[in-house]
Amino acid sequence: MGGAERAQRRRRQQQTAAKRPAKSSTVVQAARASTGSGGDRNRLLKGIIVVAVIAAVVIGGVLWQRSRSAPPDAAPVRTITAEYPVTIDGGVVVAGEGSAEVTVDVYEDFLCPACGTFEERDAAKIEQALAAGTVKVRYHMLNLLDQQSNPPGYSLDAAAAGVCAAEAGEFPSFHASLFGAQPREGGHGYTIDQLVQLGRDVGITGPAFESCVRDGTHADAVRAELESARTDPALRRPNPNGGDYFGTPTVVADGKLVDLGNPNWLDDAIGEAG
Amino acid sequence: MVVKDVVGTLARLGLAAVWLVSGGLKAVDPEQAYLAVAAFDVLPSGAVSPVASALPFVELALGLLLVVGFGTRPVAVVSAVLLVAFVAGVAQAWARGLSIDCGCFGGGGAVAPSETRYPQEIARDTAFLALAAWLMVRPRTLLAADGLVGPPRRVTEDVAQDGV
Repeated sequence: MGGAERAQRRRRQQQTAAKRPAKSSTVVQAARASTGSGGDRNRLLKGIIVVAVIAAVVIGGVLWQRSRSAPPDAAPVRTITAEYPVTIDGGVVVAGEGSAEVTVDVYEDFLCPACGTFEERDAAKIEQALAAGTVKVRYHMLNLLDQQSNPPGYSLDAAAAGVCAAEAGEFPSFHASLFGAQPREGGHGYTIDQLVQLGRDVGITGPAFESCVRDGTHADAVRAELESARTDPALRRPNPNGGDYFGTPTVVADGKLVDLGNPNWLDDAIGEAG
Repeated sequence: MVVKDVVGTLARLGLAAVWLVSGGLKAVDPEQAYLAVAAFDVLPSGAVSPVASALPFVELALGLLLVVGFGTRPVAVVSAVLLVAFVAGVAQAWARGLSIDCGCFGGGGAVAPSETRYPQEIARDTAFLALAAWLMVRPRTLLAADGLVGPPRRVTEDVAQDGV
């Protein structure tokens, strides 16, 4: 009795359900057409989820990136034992005996990878010539690549600190150490603290060096050097398709632009002078 | 209809591949990505670092969403905005006579003037823009999460209410 009643009700329900879909969907369509609320809500929700996914990936990624990018480890000391006088001339560090026959002007940036390669190849020869008194070198340490470290400004900090190190009498080792463990372009350069520490490590004592580095005492002189190097027509090299440019490293021996493709440029210059 | 779905699917997966590859190459070399962004010389120096560190992951997120096929239309809109910004960046570098590589797929930064490829870079980004445009106009594709989470099913709700 009860079972039959239930079966009958179920049958009726099924019939209604079978009729429903067509009717309902027109109702829904009509409702959506008039208000558009269902579609809008759906779209809004989707937009929110899309934004949330992008935000989550970006925040996660940036935090992960930050955890791997820190200042480089302290630069190991490279000690230059050769003995020669070092003085400063504005923002230029002048190394070698005043009586030397050949004057070499070197334009470098502590961040520039090509300068690192140049130092790696030629530093030993230059040191030898400086110690022998045949050559004097005017080091123009420039802040050409200020925007190429993250955070920007390592080139200027390092160049100005180089002049401080020259004042303190330890330019050769300071210069060689910074090029010996060069920070990567686009990455974090050495911090001011690390530059101060490197100065101590190469043997600078006394508070003058630290305040010189922290105050950026020679920063303006370095900027002025960059400006005059950039505007000096004698230092510009031709572009393959027109125009010319100034880049680092640029080397001038006795007023003549050196082709660094020639590995014997220094011997040649000394030969010509002698 | 089906042909358009197939075209849309290819556009979606193609654009996904573009973002995943370009974002991935930038993410594994953050120093180079920083140099590439800095080389465009448009952002104030304080903004270069945040943009350079976020950009690879924006690209990866867009790629992931496109692979899954979720929110295809808004993702296509964001993709198009980003691509237009890239084209504008390359165009201004070209117009100003900078010699840079766009770093679109890794690399980037200053290059020798003979190595610039501005027309090719703009053409490539424009082609990607066409993919995004298709998906903006017609986001329906096959094998997409969008197809699974359709509009709310009022129909079943109605039936359930009637049954009570």
